[in-house]
Amino acid sequence: MSILVVENLEKTYPGTRKTPPVEAVRGVSFAVQSGEFFGLLGPNGAGKSTTLGCISTLVRPTSGRIVVDGVTVAKAPHEVKRRIAVVPQARNLDRDLTVREVLTYHGRYFGLPADEREKRATRLLEELQVADKAEAKPLTLSGGQQQRVLIARALMHDPKVVLLDEPTTGLDPQARRLLWETLRSLHQRGVTFILTTHYMEEADRLCDRLAIVDHGRILTLDTPAALKRSLPGAQVLDLWMRAPQPLAPRLRELAGVLNIEPVDELDGDGDDVERLRLFVEPGEGLLDRVLATVRGGGADLRHISLAQPSLEDVYIHLTGRGLRE
Amino acid sequence: MTAFLALLQRDLVVASRHAVFLLLSTLTQPVLVILVFGNILPRLGLVSASLGTVMVPGLMAIAILMAGVQGVLLPLVQDLSGSREVDERLLAPIGVFGVAAGRIVAGAVHAAAAGLLAGPAMILLMHGTGLGDVKPTWWLLLPLVAVAGLLSAAFGLTLGTQVQPRFAGLLFAVVLGPMMLFGCAYYPWAQLKAIGAFQYLFLLNPLTFVSEAMRLAVTPETPHMPLPLLALGLVGWLAAFTAIGTRAFEKRAIL
Repeated sequence: MSILVVENLEKTYPGTRKTPPVEAVRGVSFAVQSGEFFGLLGPNGAGKSTTLGCISTLVRPTSGRIVVDGVTVAKAPHEVKRRIAVVPQARNLDRDLTVREVLTYHGRYFGLPADEREKRATRLLEELQVADKAEAKPLTLSGGQQQRVLIARALMHDPKVVLLDEPTTGLDPQARRLLWETLRSLHQRGVTFILTTHYMEEADRLCDRLAIVDHGRILTLDTPAALKRSLPGAQVLDLWMRAPQPLAPRLRELAGVLNIEPVDELDGDGDDVERLRLFVEPGEGLLDRVLATVRGGGADLRHISLAQPSLEDVYIHLTGRGLRE
Repeated sequence: MTAFLALLQRDLVVASRHAVFLLLSTLTQPVLVILVFGNILPRLGLVSASLGTVMVPGLMAIAILMAGVQGVLLPLVQDLSGSREVDERLLAPIGVFGVAAGRIVAGAVHAAAAGLLAGPAMILLMHGTGLGDVKPTWWLLLPLVAVAGLLSAAFGLTLGTQVQPRFAGLLFAVVLGPMMLFGCAYYPWAQLKAIGAFQYLFLLNPLTFVSEAMRLAVTPETPHMPLPLLALGLVGWLAAFTAIGTRAFEKRAIL
């Protein structure tokens, strides 16, 4: 059964005198099953957070319909709020309370009786490995610890769906990995998660299914494995070079090269190194043939990489742009 | 209602932890003003002792206004700042109006506490000077302090939602400063008849009604505003600021 249905969601932020209106979400539809780990993957500004905002009642959609566990958001926002929880992008822990109070007051807002609040707070602080910080003020915690407290707070009222907005942005790699493990174990116990991220690896490791989003639209939606399988060829060969003449036509002729796409580097440093992406079926002599063609064209090869296709390749394949990590 | 009370409880618990800081920041100024104008200057014979009597209710009103505004404005700035702590409140099972109203009620409690503490503190500091006319009518004082507190807090919500946080300092200098001078805190509104029709301009200042309410309750024998006008002013400004403030809050809170 679908625990969440989003239909033709659109959101345009009104402009001001100096700024034009922004069409953040332009017709997004998807459904999430109970117990699923669902992801929205895309660059900053793709409309992921706005979509989550609309689901969580904090952003008013311009049009479209959202139903959470059978309740329409526009009709009964209070009922929706009881069924969802949000782990926001900005770490908005109540800085005037202690960590334990952050959890118990959250429980109070949702009408949990006192003994239940205390019991759940104790259990969740243990589970999320922040029990030793229970009496500390949130702002004295590290980013990773604050993120765990945010998750513990979200779980206090036993929501049916937890919305995670870029949960690991700004965390160091170790804290990120620890958080992934936590999220996976919560998911195994049946929590439904909806995650937004611009980290390919995060989407790949956590999500059962994911939608790749760009400019307010869903470009594709499937399991990570199926998305990667959708690419031509078994491997991806990237070439960074300075070429006096376009080499793509000649490279495309080579045996084993299935497709070629130029890639715009988002954060290119202004030199004229171009990136070509070859979808290849690796076989005897393929690299030799490619290198010979590059050299024959008088190009100055700077860097080369051969890899299994990743979600980033899917993204590049769909948009022609690299995704800034 | 559960969520509303829980949010209010959270606000009051947090405020009580900062009580000393909050009260010092709102009480220091009025209480010291009365020390100068209600005690030192009359003793020097520079002003009549009755000035102190006139100023006691007025300074209580200023304490209420400042505490009410600060009690809403400061949490609001934190709420709507980059980290958006307000989202945690908005995600509680309660409407946006409830969240805003909760802020007003919490600010009003803060304001009422400031007003009720300012009165006795000032009377203490005026000891030995003309205190004859300060005779609080308690049954009138408490409800009037409550309404005045709500009005001040609703005004704070209106200011906080209309003004960028970085202009908060300017707000005190340009809005609250003049309000205090022209809010009938230092002179009774009834006696402004002496300046003719300008008297009615003072009705545009919500503090005028708070001052006159305190005057009615604390020094009933000095001249004060007619009751119907006072009631209309208090209720009118309270309704206006609640409507403007909550609507603006909703606009800022829900994108």
